Amino acid sequence: MDCRRANIWRESIVVGVPDEAQKREQELKVRDYWPRTRKRALLLTIGMELILTIVASLALLLAGFEYNSVEFLFVVVAIIAASLGVNIVLMNILLSPLKDLSDALTHVSGEPSDVVAPNSTSPARRIDGLEPLLELIYGLSSQRGVSALSTDSEQENILKRALDQIDGGFMICDEHGKIVYASENAPVKEAQDESKELKLIFDTDLPFDDWLAQCREKEVKSQRTWLRVPDGLVGDPDRKIYDVIASYEKGSTAPVVISTYNRSADYQPEDDQLDFISFAAHELRGPVTVIRGYLDVFREELENPTIDARETSALLSRLIVSANRLSGYITNILNASRYDRRHLKMNLHEHTLAQVYAMIADDMGMRASTQNRLLTVSLPSDLPTVAVDPSSLSEVFSNLIDNAIKYSNEGGTVSVGASVDGDFVKVSVLDHGIGMPGNVVSNLFHKFYRSHRSRETVAGTGIGLYISKAIVEAHGGVIEVKSEEGKGSVFSFSVPIYASVADKLAASDNSNQAIIRKGSEGWIKNHAKFRG
Amino acid sequence: MAIKSILVIEDDRFIGEMYVRSLQRAGYDVDWMVDGSDGAVAARNKPYDLIMLDIMLPEKRGSEILAELRGDNKDLIPHTRVIVLTNFEQDDESRLAMEHNVDAYLIKAEITPRKLLETIQELDKLPPLGSEQQ
Repeated sequence: MDCRRANIWRESIVVGVPDEAQKREQELKVRDYWPRTRKRALLLTIGMELILTIVASLALLLAGFEYNSVEFLFVVVAIIAASLGVNIVLMNILLSPLKDLSDALTHVSGEPSDVVAPNSTSPARRIDGLEPLLELIYGLSSQRGVSALSTDSEQENILKRALDQIDGGFMICDEHGKIVYASENAPVKEAQDESKELKLIFDTDLPFDDWLAQCREKEVKSQRTWLRVPDGLVGDPDRKIYDVIASYEKGSTAPVVISTYNRSADYQPEDDQLDFISFAAHELRGPVTVIRGYLDVFREELENPTIDARETSALLSRLIVSANRLSGYITNILNASRYDRRHLKMNLHEHTLAQVYAMIADDMGMRASTQNRLLTVSLPSDLPTVAVDPSSLSEVFSNLIDNAIKYSNEGGTVSVGASVDGDFVKVSVLDHGIGMPGNVVSNLFHKFYRSHRSRETVAGTGIGLYISKAIVEAHGGVIEVKSEEGKGSVFSFSVPIYASVADKLAASDNSNQAIIRKGSEGWIKNHAKFRG
Repeated sequence: MAIKSILVIEDDRFIGEMYVRSLQRAGYDVDWMVDGSDGAVAARNKPYDLIMLDIMLPEKRGSEILAELRGDNKDLIPHTRVIVLTNFEQDDESRLAMEHNVDAYLIKAEITPRKLLETIQELDKLPPLGSEQQ
């Protein structure tokens, strides 16, 4: 640091305007204090010495000594020698703390000089009591930055503050990639030895470390850009994706400079789409595996029968459940796409909930029994009729029941019930499964969202609840969830009682198109028109 | 050494039963575990000739089980072959790391029970991964 300061100091003198340079040369410097003081002290001592000699000589002459006698000469020389020696020794002793103070101040001033910073903790400093004074000087200078007296420190601070504000990072490394400076938002982590290291995952043939090694070996100046470099694995909620530019210059004071630009906002949606395709493939492959596999089993049975009719029927129901599930997944994906493009259309008609559920009752019953869950459905016949699009609403039933089966334990119960709630009929699907923590619940209806647990153990596309919410809201209802970790979840949705909206529906051709207007985020249902 | 005993770690009831059924029919001695923790314990406690491992498992992921059994510097199951059977395809680090420690990495939807039996017979002709490393 001192070296660097010294260079800057000299440069400013060399490159400055000549008049100014001369002026600055004439200005008093901290480093000048000690030589000047020492010079003054010496001159003063010699002056005092002369006066003392004259006074002593006069006294001797008055006492009767002959001015040309050997005795007179001997006494005068003895006085001069003795007092000069004593004075110089005294001067050195008395002025030494002043020298140390001056050296310390010169050192922290950043001025170029050969002085060595005095060690504040040496025994001598303890004896002369200088220790706290030196400590204070060093303490103050480190608080203000070593270059406290230099105006460069202000600029340095402004620069640092600016770099800390960048949504990305700026790092300086030494020749071996050791980070010597990193701005606040730089993607770095602490290594075991408390030094900082890059927190980036380079998925490329030439990651940063290899590139740097190559540079050290055969480059003088080089630059390289890496695109889409993440700082964490897929699934990490704080994961950011950067574009990274690194430059190398051999022998420079900052040999390796890395700047990173946070591009998560651009890359994340694309990653979500890719993620979605990958998860959708996984979800669709599940039933395909079962269908292909059991067809294989049936072929073997045809060649060499080993099972009875009852078992054949059980295997067949697995095929049917899987085919239905496959079809359901495909419908969800298509509906989500329609919803995103604002093409999801509902035709609302008068039905009972029991009629809607009847469309999927066999399928749901089979899904539950084949996976060893007990499904109880109670949709009382005295419930009022509702205004619904039956095929869309049956998907909501199917998504919620399927989820309840997925996230509950073997042998568990899934209960479906319904009751009147104002102008709505509210349907609830209850399970006693694994439940969810609050932060998961709040994100549940977002597209592509899969809970921390389901990400790891149950792969879904994360669109089942998203599309269910869209369908329920297009009916004018709401969908909600209450959940407790370890105890289970209750998903409920409401649909309007037919009588409460019959007039409005008749006026709008039984379609939900009239009750929906476009908003910036998608389309927004016009509750007022629906509710009257 | 011919493959005789097989551990299936698979949480999907339909798929698990399908494999177990075909393997038993072909004369193998099969144990089936439906969650990751039980699977990991079973794999340690009994020297199976083959483990069929799913990745998306409750309690413990397949990749975690594999890391426990066969890490960088250890191999608790040197004489056991491992087939990873998953429908999940993703180029992530765990998959790459896993590929060095398993005998086969197969996509379930592409592997019918008949193909699975063929694959096991093929593996039978090759020396186990563990014996090569030793």
